Amino acid sequence: MELRNRKWDLDYFNQIREEVLKMWPTGAEVDLEEAVAYQKEIPAHKRFKDVLARAKKEGRTLIQPRAGVALINEHIDLLKYLQDEGEADLLPTTIDSYTRQNQYEEAQRGIEESRKMGRSMLNGFPAVNHGVAACRKVVESLDRPLQVRHGTPDARLLAEITLAGGFTDFEGGGISYNIPYAKDVSIEKTLFYWQYVDRLVGLYQEKGVEINREPFGPLTGTLVPPSISHAVAILEGLLAAEQGVKNLTLGYGQCGNLIQDVAAIQTLEELAIEYFNKFGYTDCQLTTVFHQWMGGFPQDEAKAFGVISWGAVTAALAKATKVIVKTPHEALGIPTKEANAAGLKATKQVVNMLRDQSIEDTEKLLIEKEMIKKEVRAIIDRVLDLGEGDLVQGIIKAFQAGVIDVPFAPSRYNLGKILPARDNNGAVRFLETGNLPFDAEIKEFHEAKLAERGQVEGREPSFQMVIDDIYSVGKGMLVGRPR
Amino acid sequence: MEKKTLVLGVIGADVHAVGNKILEYALTEAGFKVVNIGVMASQEEFINAAIETNADAILVSSLYGHGELDCQGFPQKCKEAGLDDVLLYVGGNLVVGKQDFEEVKKRFLEMGFHRVYPPGTMPETAIADLKKDLGIED
Repeated sequence: MELRNRKWDLDYFNQIREEVLKMWPTGAEVDLEEAVAYQKEIPAHKRFKDVLARAKKEGRTLIQPRAGVALINEHIDLLKYLQDEGEADLLPTTIDSYTRQNQYEEAQRGIEESRKMGRSMLNGFPAVNHGVAACRKVVESLDRPLQVRHGTPDARLLAEITLAGGFTDFEGGGISYNIPYAKDVSIEKTLFYWQYVDRLVGLYQEKGVEINREPFGPLTGTLVPPSISHAVAILEGLLAAEQGVKNLTLGYGQCGNLIQDVAAIQTLEELAIEYFNKFGYTDCQLTTVFHQWMGGFPQDEAKAFGVISWGAVTAALAKATKVIVKTPHEALGIPTKEANAAGLKATKQVVNMLRDQSIEDTEKLLIEKEMIKKEVRAIIDRVLDLGEGDLVQGIIKAFQAGVIDVPFAPSRYNLGKILPARDNNGAVRFLETGNLPFDAEIKEFHEAKLAERGQVEGREPSFQMVIDDIYSVGKGMLVGRPR
Repeated sequence: MEKKTLVLGVIGADVHAVGNKILEYALTEAGFKVVNIGVMASQEEFINAAIETNADAILVSSLYGHGELDCQGFPQKCKEAGLDDVLLYVGGNLVVGKQDFEEVKKRFLEMGFHRVYPPGTMPETAIADLKKDLGIED
């Protein structure tokens, strides 16, 4: 049967569910009715949906780290530290990379090696292996809302276990957790897997439990132009809404130019409202998340704090509902808890200081917003055409045709014909637009911006410019000027 | 002179693709024949690619912290596959957490790798070492 963007009926869901819960022994611990009852006992101050709603109303930007280690007690200690010492408003549980690829045997080996070595040998918390009771222990040990953060193409069992375990937010989507996170998984497969996850969240919703969902905004985290990530975020939001999801946080990863980044967060919400209304999903709570710089970081910790603080400034001025925080150890891999808390505190200070300030509607900002909107509409409207009205079929065909194209993605289901580069002011533009459905006006805008930089640097825009831009922040600059 | 062949890849369940694409570009520009097996490559894929292409060196990247688990026994397996003369380089964010790189380097050298690179190494460094180790004149 051809996959369509249509809400799953319950019999079909239950039939698939039986297989999902058998993927690992801990699946047997999940009982939906009991899980709903458990979720209903979680107070509002520990529910993502409620905490986000309040922050949005008050115009505050909440801060959230990434964090996860192999063993349960160590994981709780880490999150407690980030809550108490790091002043995190929202807490994560980052899932390890074996679990993300459904390699539960490998994750088990990682748990055992971690016990033996006395240090975490995994880069996250293997929630499926630990099971429902362990997740509840984590949730009950903390006083903030908890979200599952990962990068899993097939996260069906992970969702079952963590939602039954009391998590109130689940990151990911059929595009954003495939294209940047897998090599060989088709879009059709992941859209199917994520319809399941969204339907599960929709079921909780129908039973009175509000779970928030968050498509992963930054994609490959490497010079992704806002229109690309916006198109993906909005499409994933629409797919989730069709399955009954009512609470969504749409994301965007910092590019580095203040005006472009503020324009991006503002247009993300404006465009999302536009498309949600168009599709008739008018009763959804939409919030935004801004990710501090996702590319290469300076190794020097003081310099890294500079990058972190610039992200904090932008998140606050753009009025994102929350900001995902980096750490001064970013260039070196997984941070210590102290480094993680330090990133949080630096961010908290900046966000608090900027709480009552905002950016004026300058002409530059309005032009930036207008261009992003034109590009996003061009992409999404072509997706709709390709699917003859069906979003799922449209997305599958759009990736084949390169109508959606993500730079530097590992997936072979991504065309990979576009190339981004910074303009002379550090905004991310298209050096190559590949097969994106852009009209002449859009293409000329980007060409002119890159030509301007080329002239200043005395070189033709080329792949070398792209490489220079990828390394530049790590080397202390935003724009990768020739050395 | 005939081009030297390198097998390049990101080991384990790691999907970090950006550095891999840049290394492929830089190594090719530097005059090597690059066999890029991409991200999420198993030990067996590295070894099979090296055998099939008669490679001179294997370059293993790992960015996500599981490098220590993923690389366990790899140099030994290369030997068993008859790849005794093949250079083994490894680099990236190889372990979980901020650990003293000299300790990490020692661990990987003892495992049997010939060169071990810390986070943030530029392609030029590995290219210079390859030329030296493979006896290529500039």
